[in-house]
Amino acid sequence: MQTRGLPGLLLVLPALLLLATLTIYPVGYGFWLSLHAKHSLFPQQAFVGLDNYIYLWHDPEFWESLRIGLIYSVSTIFLQLVLGVAAALLLHQSFFGRNIVRGLVLFPYMIPTVVAVILWKWMLNNQFGLINFGLVSLGISSEPINWFGRSYIMASLILVSVWQFFPFVLLAVLARLQTIPTELYDAARVDGAGPVARFVFVTLPQLASVLFITILLRSIWMFTKFDTVWLMTQGGGAERYIRTMPVYAYLRTFNYYEAGMGAAVAIVMFLMLVAAAATYFFLFRGEDQL
Amino acid sequence: MTGRSGLQWLLLGLAVALLLAFAAFPLLWMGLTALKPSTEIFTWPPRLLPEAPTLSNIERLFAQTHFVTYFKNSVIVSSAAVILTLLLAVPGAYGLTRYRFFGRETIAATVLFTYMFAPIMIIIPFYIVMRTFGLANTHIALVLAYCAFSLPFALWMLRTFFQSIPIDLEEAAMTDGASRFRAVIHVVIPMALPGIIATAILTFILAWNDYIFARILISSDNLKTLPVGIADLYNASVIDWGMIMASGLLVIIPVIIVFSYVQKFLVAGWGSGGVKG
Repeated sequence: MQTRGLPGLLLVLPALLLLATLTIYPVGYGFWLSLHAKHSLFPQQAFVGLDNYIYLWHDPEFWESLRIGLIYSVSTIFLQLVLGVAAALLLHQSFFGRNIVRGLVLFPYMIPTVVAVILWKWMLNNQFGLINFGLVSLGISSEPINWFGRSYIMASLILVSVWQFFPFVLLAVLARLQTIPTELYDAARVDGAGPVARFVFVTLPQLASVLFITILLRSIWMFTKFDTVWLMTQGGGAERYIRTMPVYAYLRTFNYYEAGMGAAVAIVMFLMLVAAAATYFFLFRGEDQL
Repeated sequence: MTGRSGLQWLLLGLAVALLLAFAAFPLLWMGLTALKPSTEIFTWPPRLLPEAPTLSNIERLFAQTHFVTYFKNSVIVSSAAVILTLLLAVPGAYGLTRYRFFGRETIAATVLFTYMFAPIMIIIPFYIVMRTFGLANTHIALVLAYCAFSLPFALWMLRTFFQSIPIDLEEAAMTDGASRFRAVIHVVIPMALPGIIATAILTFILAWNDYIFARILISSDNLKTLPVGIADLYNASVIDWGMIMASGLLVIIPVIIVFSYVQKFLVAGWGSGGVKG
């Protein structure tokens, strides 16, 4: 009994109106804003056409934010995938206490970003941090490392981000692993496949579709990640070595009060994402039954 | 089918221990630091367990900062966001499942597309829109923001749950004389409860954890939520690590309680998108 008609639309309407006013309209307004010179706090504004975009094209800070953003997102996505898949395979094994371990490992993803950042700032603290203590007492480093200085700030940011987000990959992959029919493994065993061959020829093809969607989502979210990066920039003085594109858009709007320019950075980021997602679909979608 | 040799058990145990050390130990360390007096926090070499456990960090947090206000604000805003999201998403998802109307699939696809908008893209115009309506620096603005961000996954997740409920059950109730509304309340909602709970939890966690919207939309100290309050505590001139770790510990306790209670629902809902982050 799938009823025809209006009542269904009426039930969805409130949700749609809210989404339209609070997400679709702001994105449209962002496009409009990017064509104007507008102060972030005061009402004056002037139409400038594509001037903001042309400015960005010649703006070394913008290109630097793109470079830093790519280093950050590519390396964190890669590490999250490797660690997430490995951990999922591990927690798919049966052993005593497995459910507790599964629960514990998901916590980093569930806690507020600000907590993740402050607790790693404490772990990596120059004077009293546990990491430096470990490195020095094991003789890996002769003196404590300044994790928030110019040379290591990106590494620290990557560490925090991978810690915080690999459980997403873990959970997605683990859920899929549980639905792979065991007959497939039995058949492979009969054919003489060892553990590695079973992983490559049975597990990986089955994981292809979940990995496809996980990589897509994680790429979108890491490329536009603001809070982890921003909170890592607070205090330490090496802020500009992790100034990714979302942080640059924020600075333009709320530090330089150039709302139009900030919006232009956000729009460029969005267009790059759409282009990358379209290419990604074009290249890989054919291989999956999505 | 556990034909593992001793060596295999050893390797397995080692791998699990390494994973736990990476994922969970930092949280444990935060908790242990929160219970240490400052003489033990600033000691070299660091000591694992507190020798003289103390609640003085928590006492300082309550006495010297507005932590209790931030906590109260977070509870109010997150609960309101959950209620508003469910009020909009449950009927919405039901409408998208049980009724056929022109453009239904287009609507569903558009909703999924809004899932792609990152907060940083929306926040600048969102802030200006809220200021125009006189809602900047209010909790209402935060509730609306969290609801807007939860709705796409809430609609999709609930839709998959409604789709899995056999329609015969509603029809049977209605043949017995129940109105459609009563059939939904007494038959459909109880069966979709795991999905509704999972949606509520994910929305709560999203609102409870958010930093960016609260940072930009709220300027008065007495309206701030926990993530912003804690970030400001950290940015204060002298960093009181014991107090900061205590604040971190108290913030994640609700998340831990809620999460361990509903973990099984959560895994069930993961296939339909999961929470953004």
